[in-house]
Amino acid sequence: MLDSGTSRDGISVEGLARMLRGGQITRRGFLAQAAILLGSAAAAEGLLARVAGAQTTSKNTLVIGQSADISKLDPQMSTTVNDIAVTFNLFDNLLSRHHDGKLYASLATEWKLVSPITWQFKLRPNVKFHNGDPFTSADVKFSFERSYDPNAKVITKSVLNTIDKIETPDPLTLVIQTKQPDPLLAARTAFYAGQVMPKAYFQKVGEDEFNAKPIGTGPVKFTSWVKDDRLVLDANKDYWGGKIDLDQIVFRPLPELAARVGALLKGEVDIITKIPPDQVDRVAKAPNTKIEGVLYGGLYCLSVTTQRPPLDSKPFRQAMSLAIDRATIVKELWRGQGAVPNSMVVKSDNHYDPTLPPLKYDPNQAKQLLKEANYKGEELTLETPIGFMVMDKEMSEVVISMWKDVGINAKLEQLEYSVYQQKIRERSFKGVRWTDPTSAYNDPDGMMWRHLAPGGPNAYWFRNPRFDELGNAARFSVDEKFREGAYKEMVRLELEFLPLIPVIQPMELYGLQKYVDWKPYPNQMMEFRRFNLKLRRA
Amino acid sequence: MQGFGRFLTYRLLRMLVAMWSVVTVVFVVMRLSGDPVPLLLPPDAPIAEMERLRHEMGLDRPIFVQYGVFVNQAIRGDFGRSIHFRTSALAVVWERVPATLELAFASFLCAIVVAIPTGILSAVKRGSTYDNLVMGVALVGQAAPTFYIGIMLILVCSLWLGLFPTSGRGEWRQLVMPAVTLGAFAMASIARITRSAVLEILRADFIRTARAKGVPEFWTIVKHAMRNAAIPIVTIVGLQLGNLLGGAVVTETIFSWPGIGRLAIQSIYNRDYPIVQSCVFMTAAMFVVLNFLVDVTYGLLDPRIRRR
Repeated sequence: MLDSGTSRDGISVEGLARMLRGGQITRRGFLAQAAILLGSAAAAEGLLARVAGAQTTSKNTLVIGQSADISKLDPQMSTTVNDIAVTFNLFDNLLSRHHDGKLYASLATEWKLVSPITWQFKLRPNVKFHNGDPFTSADVKFSFERSYDPNAKVITKSVLNTIDKIETPDPLTLVIQTKQPDPLLAARTAFYAGQVMPKAYFQKVGEDEFNAKPIGTGPVKFTSWVKDDRLVLDANKDYWGGKIDLDQIVFRPLPELAARVGALLKGEVDIITKIPPDQVDRVAKAPNTKIEGVLYGGLYCLSVTTQRPPLDSKPFRQAMSLAIDRATIVKELWRGQGAVPNSMVVKSDNHYDPTLPPLKYDPNQAKQLLKEANYKGEELTLETPIGFMVMDKEMSEVVISMWKDVGINAKLEQLEYSVYQQKIRERSFKGVRWTDPTSAYNDPDGMMWRHLAPGGPNAYWFRNPRFDELGNAARFSVDEKFREGAYKEMVRLELEFLPLIPVIQPMELYGLQKYVDWKPYPNQMMEFRRFNLKLRRA
Repeated sequence: MQGFGRFLTYRLLRMLVAMWSVVTVVFVVMRLSGDPVPLLLPPDAPIAEMERLRHEMGLDRPIFVQYGVFVNQAIRGDFGRSIHFRTSALAVVWERVPATLELAFASFLCAIVVAIPTGILSAVKRGSTYDNLVMGVALVGQAAPTFYIGIMLILVCSLWLGLFPTSGRGEWRQLVMPAVTLGAFAMASIARITRSAVLEILRADFIRTARAKGVPEFWTIVKHAMRNAAIPIVTIVGLQLGNLLGGAVVTETIFSWPGIGRLAIQSIYNRDYPIVQSCVFMTAAMFVVLNFLVDVTYGLLDPRIRRR
């Protein structure tokens, strides 16, 4: 119950509160009016805090503003952040990774390793696809096999390709044999390629029609999509996990940051993604909105073209790393919305070593190492697209000035995004570039080794026989004790040779209306389920 | 009338040549600017996979064979399948045409309704405070970047005053801010051209004669000055409408307007050249048709032009 009181204009405190919630008056207007009503500015502030804190809604539609439109709805055709926000709700995986980083039952109710290369999954009975078809092991077999089929035009081939064969002894049992022991198979099924599609429907309508009208078992069903305008999903009333606390979810592309934040502040959307740190206060201090952030399950790193002088010198690379004042980058540039990493293994990963200190900043030692490297002032180029990662331009400028401070002759070159992509493919970067590896499967294998293994996206010419030996052995071992030791040694080698220089583990920031109870995931997925999404009702 | 027929035929032919040149330039530029295949596959895809896709898309054939196939299909309105959306490219672009036309015409209407009377009044009251003020505002309108006008409108009209929704397309209230933002530049330039065209005509002998005869000032301007000032105004109006149709990228992005401009830019990033070609083709077609209409209007307005 709010304080009583009515102004001379006949506006009550409750009326004011309603106007504030409905966006009819601003926070400042509210304070002014409430101060008159209550007789003190302090009381008005207190009222504002309570009114804003107690925000509720009668809405049954959740509108999400993303930074770009959806491109594809076939879950094996795209892994971009904006697309998976949709597909992880249209489809279910066998297992699902929750906020705590652990794997939980989803379409599979039980899973176990029956021999070093054999996994058995028991599937959930009585699950139906959106078109009414029953969900069976044949659908899982079909989906998984398509995800790594060399003839299918999918882009998820590297996820489940450790599978040798899949057997379906009965409709609710799935037996998977891997080519070699694969400790991460269960984790893989919770990732991109593991979304289960309906075999019969897919084969009937074909690839393009499926992409246009996808059907899954998820908590929402596809309803309509007007490209670059809105994608509408209706709640699946018969969802096996219970109907979500809504009737509809709408995704809208709002590419311009000012418009995206504006739409949230005005109450036109309920959740927005990709908020840069400098907008956090604006959203957090508005009466109706809040910020939810989570440390990204990955890193922003500098990828080094290690075969080019002066980058081929180990002390030079060490100097580059020591010259970066990461704590200042986190504090000043990111306004505290991030953490200084201690290695290529992040906090949410298996085998993360909390005893390692955060990466060191020591300009004097950096200068020493430059002397040791016999550095003669050769030019070092940092190539980056703008807006590819949050704050990439700002971080580039800061890092370059930090390098200059210790005597590295560094310069910045901006690239158009598609040129940048082309250069990744051709491996033709002149010096260093930004990269934002995600830790797939929450394991060092999914980030450190995936990126630095021979042929990996950041491998370049860096090769170290011991690193490779350990990486391969740990990948195919189901002995977690052994894996722990192996990754510890690999981390040490990585930090010594620095083919990738970790810079920051940023926060993923979302803006929400205060009545939305939802916590973001470190891996950028936006799973909306009955257990994790609630709208506070009046 | 025979002269006018020849005039029309000549303009139509010129229109077709213009379209063909545009399409050819786009074809060459898109092929020169980079390989789309790496963008379609994950970074660790094997070379064989890339070669297979390249073959599938016909990109491994000689460029003139690709061009031949392309022109042959273009004549039939087939620009191939979008690499990104996996459906007919022209259909994807066609879906955006209503939004683009809606925005272009709304901002165009906004521009001429404001700009032409303002320009005329400015010319008539030349040197007055009104004239100085209006031309000053017009200069700002021409100089201010679109993104600035757009973001300021969102801040003031949407967040502070709560008059219009911040973005999107659907109801008329969502059209106002994008239309004003997009129309600002056209508005300013049309007003300035109208002012100078009318000013020039007002100095002409026949205006002095009209005034000497005692024709009221209003009719002198509407019947005598405006008819003669129409050619430069129609030219700038035609050009501006063309710009409004093709140049809405920034406005569309700020206001999340699902038009052709945004699609084109996204498709350039994605190297989705069937879409880019269709977008350019569609925009060029609208531009060329407009130019043709402007030319025809000239002919109707001024018989001397038909004979050239």
